[in-house]
Amino acid sequence: MPQLTIDDHPIEVPTGTKVIAAAEQLGIMIPRFCYHAALGSVGACRLCAVMFLDGPVKGLQMSCMVDAQDGMVVSTTDAKAVDFRRQVIEWLMLHHPHDCPVCDEGGHCLLQDHTVSSGHAIRRYRGAKRTHRDQYLGPLLQHEMNRCIQCYRCSRYYQDFAGARDLSVMQIGNKVYFGRDRDGTLQSPFAGNLADICPTGVFTDKPSRYMGRRWDYERSPAVCIHCSLGCNIVVSARYREVVRLEARFNPHINGYFMCDRGRHGYTYTSAAGRPRQAIFEGQPADVDATLQHAAERLTSIARMHGLAAVACIGSLRSSVEAQGALVRLCNAQGWPAPAFFDDDERLAAVQTAVAQQHAQVHVSLRAVENADAVIVAGCDPIAEAPMLALALRQAQRRGATIVVIDPRPIELPLAFQHIPLAADQLAACLDDLITRVGTVAHDPGALETGSPADPLAAAADLLVRSRRPVIVCGTDLPNVAAIRQAGKLARVLRENRDSGLFHVLPGANAYSAALLNRGRSMAQVAADIAQGAVKALLVVETDPFHHLPNRKRLTDALARLELLVTLDYLDGPHTRKAHVFLPSTTIFESGGTFINQEGRVQKTAGALQGGTALRLVSNTHPPRLYGQGIPGNQPMPAWLMLSALSGESAFGSSADILQWLAREVPGFENLKAAQPPTGEDLLLDSAGRSEIGRHCLDVTSESPLNPPNSGGGLHLLSTERTFGSEELSCRSPQLIELESTPQARLAPSEARRLALKDGDRIALAAENGFYETTLKVADNMAEGTLAVGRHCHPDWPWDGRHARIADRSIKKIDQRETKINP
Amino acid sequence: MLTPLEEEEIKFVAEHYASLDGAAIEALKIVQRHRGWISDDSLRDVAEALAMTTTELDSVATFYNLIFRQPVGRHVILLCDSVSCWIMGYDNILEILKRRLNIAGFGHTTADGRFTLLPHVCLGACDRAPVMMIDDRLYGELDADKIDAILAQYE
Repeated sequence: MPQLTIDDHPIEVPTGTKVIAAAEQLGIMIPRFCYHAALGSVGACRLCAVMFLDGPVKGLQMSCMVDAQDGMVVSTTDAKAVDFRRQVIEWLMLHHPHDCPVCDEGGHCLLQDHTVSSGHAIRRYRGAKRTHRDQYLGPLLQHEMNRCIQCYRCSRYYQDFAGARDLSVMQIGNKVYFGRDRDGTLQSPFAGNLADICPTGVFTDKPSRYMGRRWDYERSPAVCIHCSLGCNIVVSARYREVVRLEARFNPHINGYFMCDRGRHGYTYTSAAGRPRQAIFEGQPADVDATLQHAAERLTSIARMHGLAAVACIGSLRSSVEAQGALVRLCNAQGWPAPAFFDDDERLAAVQTAVAQQHAQVHVSLRAVENADAVIVAGCDPIAEAPMLALALRQAQRRGATIVVIDPRPIELPLAFQHIPLAADQLAACLDDLITRVGTVAHDPGALETGSPADPLAAAADLLVRSRRPVIVCGTDLPNVAAIRQAGKLARVLRENRDSGLFHVLPGANAYSAALLNRGRSMAQVAADIAQGAVKALLVVETDPFHHLPNRKRLTDALARLELLVTLDYLDGPHTRKAHVFLPSTTIFESGGTFINQEGRVQKTAGALQGGTALRLVSNTHPPRLYGQGIPGNQPMPAWLMLSALSGESAFGSSADILQWLAREVPGFENLKAAQPPTGEDLLLDSAGRSEIGRHCLDVTSESPLNPPNSGGGLHLLSTERTFGSEELSCRSPQLIELESTPQARLAPSEARRLALKDGDRIALAAENGFYETTLKVADNMAEGTLAVGRHCHPDWPWDGRHARIADRSIKKIDQRETKINP
Repeated sequence: MLTPLEEEEIKFVAEHYASLDGAAIEALKIVQRHRGWISDDSLRDVAEALAMTTTELDSVATFYNLIFRQPVGRHVILLCDSVSCWIMGYDNILEILKRRLNIAGFGHTTADGRFTLLPHVCLGACDRAPVMMIDDRLYGELDADKIDAILAQYE
């Protein structure tokens, strides 16, 4: 551990730390452009020059290129160093257009800061400036190459860190150009980070262009809820509208970055169509009065038809507080426990995953980055949890081998081995791996017997040789048996390795929903409504039409209800069909607690006051409105309204809910600590808790490793897409532009067997209806599987997400014919 | 579309590299030798042959000033504008060339498509400055008299 002195302050840092990073630990921010903690050093910008006064290195050196060594005496304020940095700024500013007044980076621009702080205020250069033509880079980013100072952060991030291949460095010398070969949308779902990482305004956030300066915004820390990872973000809001999201550093989860789904999925909160008015019997009403009416009608239905006639549906995107308040409401009223998950398979899968988790085995996203071998089982990272793909990329860059066992044609921005295996064979495959790993552990000689042609043997070999393996397991495709085997594999490896288990769950608060779910699934509730057993339904912050694939059946069922009460901030058929509607607030308005797939508890406060965005109620500039009260500020936190519905047992504050959960619900005990002892995030530890396990173990004890294949045909999977599947972000106009057309993907051998070819329009027939789509023949996928990208508003004629489909139910649509006889 | 000959030549050089993209420069040179320059279509085809994206290959193509991403004349004149040639009066040669070829300056092609004039930083023949190179041939100790005779050799 070298000890050095920087600006008269002694510091000891780990070997290999650069001087610029050592200074940072002392709170000394040496000016820099090209250096970034996530990207490392390249020594391109020459701005971080400091004076080495004594020790093994002497003279003016770039602090990002020199490792801290014993005895170094460094001055960042030495006159020569300061002057050198001033000159560097002057060079870098030669061609800069000085367009700060119309540049969106102005106000949070590193170049602006360093130029001002270096004292470079008068331009001496009188020559012509080089100019560039900007490119269209898609709906998320604005390109403005003239501002570039050639720090190479963008290309290093985009190509090296994110593994994308459609943005690079063109030209040479002072013509250097960062862009694509031609105009076009950037392909990486992590492209939005370019706006964060560019030290000046070459890449700026396009949707928020000209919306304001950094100091105009209300900026608050928050958590992303567009998948289960819980990446940390900063929210910028202005004029009662969320304007921009940026990544917020979290060492355990997202590091410095975030995905575009999270960055641009926020538009629902300020959308023009967001319902903000309580509605009762078709008329706008006061929230308190509506709550009272709702409570009375729910009670009267329960009195008339029995307590079981009232059903509640909760949400994976609600805060823990709202989920807890809903559970408490059901308890207090004696109604059946709420359903949080769409179907039984999903419920069992997530509960199995959560019950597997144990503080010693389950790991953070950061641990995935540091793994030396990763098995991804039944999970499409880029679609189900995009930042996981970025973490896998970092693991691979550090030398890890990544093996993906999944039936889909997985695409990742990294080199990996894909074992395309049917979803129902996943459990047996993992079991096989456990056996092989166990055999080798007891007899190292057995290692040699695996033939290199056998990918499973190679995977087992990889695991046995690894020191820090991580097993990543999804919950969308794998069945309960597979999830159990994945956990078992991680525990078996644990015996003599630092192994980890990482689950991907289906929603931001799926973890706590799994702990809370004591009842049915949404599908069961829908069936009970259809049979007439349920007369009143309370829907809390979830759109059953998004989650239950068979929309027609759901519509018919809901028509039978005597009372539909919906609490939500999204507009949809569930709010439009409701007899009683109560507007709730979004995470940006009321904050809340979210527990990610690892059990990490993250509390977030609201970022802005509620109310309709000023833009939508005033067309003056600056927008203003005269009158009393704030239009559209009726929405209230869901937990508060639910608490009000439960009458006497109402919670006084959101903190009370967390304490109640810690006291009453197994798995939430760790919430008791108001503050985690170390100042770190609070982690739940739910594994081995028989109370949590009990429910899911009942479901799972019967599931065989290899379920019988029910008579040929294809396994039809509806699978998540990065953009366009998730309930909130699929409403974002800028992300809709990025959506791929959903296709049905099929292995070449199966396509040949069915006499279909790439690009064919096909119709998949179900009992009552059919699904039309385009066929994509994909090389790298499992036989016997037809994988269809999930649309956010599916017209899916099957009851489940996944189905068996007979060969004869797949028909090619003759396009000529449809043209003649439409 | 690459011609079969181009494909074969690219395949041959690619065998000398550990990965396909290592042959990027050679492949571009092969196609340029056959076609005079690298069009967007040629770029796309070469990129496909080397399993690169067009953006990746373009970053290589635009880095090198002897890979031409714009059409050039039948012959390319590279006039050295580096230190030795500058001292020895390259600007005089430039003026003569501009007049003889009736073009505005560097980067321009004669109306008949015969010559394109480009600057070049050092042709490695300082002892014979000022120098220029036409296609593969070097001409040193240039003066007004020599230039006409040299240009006349090229059709």
